[in-house]
Amino acid sequence: MREFLEKAGNIDRRIIYLIIFLAVATTILVKARFKSSPLPEVQRSYKIINDLPSGSVVMFSIDYDASSMPELDPMLRAMLRHCFKKNLKVIMLGHWPLGLPLGQLALDDIAREYHKKYGTDYVFLGYRPGLQAVMLNLGKEIRSVFATDYKGTPLDSLPLMRNVHNYNDIAILVGLEAGSVGDAWVQFANARFNQKIILGSTAVITPDLYPYLQAGQIVGLIGGLRGASDYETLVEHPAMASLGMSSQTVVHVLIILLILLGNIGYFATRRKK
Amino acid sequence: MKREVPLFITFITGILIIIALFIPHKPFGQLQTTFNDWLIIVGGFTMILGLDSLLLHNWEKIKRKREGWLSAAFLIASFFITLFWGFGEGIFFHRNPFDASATFLRYFYTYIFVPLQSTMFSLLAFFIASAAYRAFRAKDPNSTLLLSAAALVMLGRVPGGQAVAPWIFAFVFLLLAYYFFNESKETSGTQQTVYIILAIITLILIYPVFYILLHYLDGIADWIMNIPQMAAKRGIWIGISLGGIAMSLRIIFGIEKTYLR
Repeated sequence: MREFLEKAGNIDRRIIYLIIFLAVATTILVKARFKSSPLPEVQRSYKIINDLPSGSVVMFSIDYDASSMPELDPMLRAMLRHCFKKNLKVIMLGHWPLGLPLGQLALDDIAREYHKKYGTDYVFLGYRPGLQAVMLNLGKEIRSVFATDYKGTPLDSLPLMRNVHNYNDIAILVGLEAGSVGDAWVQFANARFNQKIILGSTAVITPDLYPYLQAGQIVGLIGGLRGASDYETLVEHPAMASLGMSSQTVVHVLIILLILLGNIGYFATRRKK
Repeated sequence: MKREVPLFITFITGILIIIALFIPHKPFGQLQTTFNDWLIIVGGFTMILGLDSLLLHNWEKIKRKREGWLSAAFLIASFFITLFWGFGEGIFFHRNPFDASATFLRYFYTYIFVPLQSTMFSLLAFFIASAAYRAFRAKDPNSTLLLSAAALVMLGRVPGGQAVAPWIFAFVFLLLAYYFFNESKETSGTQQTVYIILAIITLILIYPVFYILLHYLDGIADWIMNIPQMAAKRGIWIGISLGGIAMSLRIIFGIEKTYLR
């Protein structure tokens, strides 16, 4: 028995990799789904967007790339669905140039789904270097940073942009964050211009953003795959996040069981010593 | 002069930006906008510098056949394929390379770049699982506390976690009781009595812990995230911010000069 317990604390890493792989793959392949009630901060974010009057402008900032796509892309799609369903106008830009096309692909897909027209219902601005400088200048005049959209069309020729000049014309800013750009949005767009912000983030950086939520510097927080899955539940369109959440559940339980096994092995070995 | 001029520019720029924050009127407010425009332009040029450094470094690696030269060759080849494909899309087909109809976006970005980057990051799941198994040990009260909090949040934040957590924790408590009983067998006197009492308490605790986790795990996980986690995070952030302010002042006043190297 003791030998078995000692071995439990020393499982080959390849076996662990295999267990994790099988757990993720099986859960996705059988399309297992677990029900959960949305987190309060996600419900709050949903309500804020839901209560916006039709025609309000929502600005999305794509601050992630393919490495965080499984968490943030479903979040973006669920939020875009919500915006278009509510007839809100969408402006998209981003500070991660390598991730911006992901935002553009999602925007085009969802806009097509809801028969929305480019220039009238949504606009894609693209990327400009400068991060904080871009954020500060957006507060004064968007045209000082983005004279044209990503296709080179002057902003004033786009009906949606004619009355949008700075943060005063943007009802909500949604930052989808895989790094520290969210902090900059809070410091520059909220602190300097009082812009209302909802942040969606990867699970790793979500704990960093809770203080902003409690302090009222952001009005909503959607954290990780759980947040994305909750938003999909709220917009009644379960998609990739809900599917991924099941495998995350199984993997979390597996990791805890492995930690338990490792500790049993550790105590068995320690006693022997 | 090589050092004095940059130090002078840094000092003047830093002071003017601070003044503009408190006096956002002409000429300071306008000055801040101008500086921000310059920052955007300089930011664009830093990309060129970055490219120059990346290509030179990797070219040197290939030339001297240093370790990893093949990867460097792949990097340079990929760089030029990406560059020319992107330019070609614009020059020959008059399309933005990131337009939905562009072949660059459809083939290179969607089918090569995105899967490669996603694969790299997804490997983390395997490493994290293995590292957690090896490193998370309840060696002392601090690590036990960390381990328990992590387990509660991990299970409390996933759907279905509330149904599994009570059983896992009940099993842990059973193991603990077994451990205390075993220890009591190998000791005597007061120590033996203490171990027996600990084992009994652990056994008694199984039901209340099971009940609490079954009904309140979500709330417990939220509490951990909203109170202790946030308190610690705030402390860290305040420390970082004070450090940032101190470092900025050192740079503005020319005390910190390492950025000039």
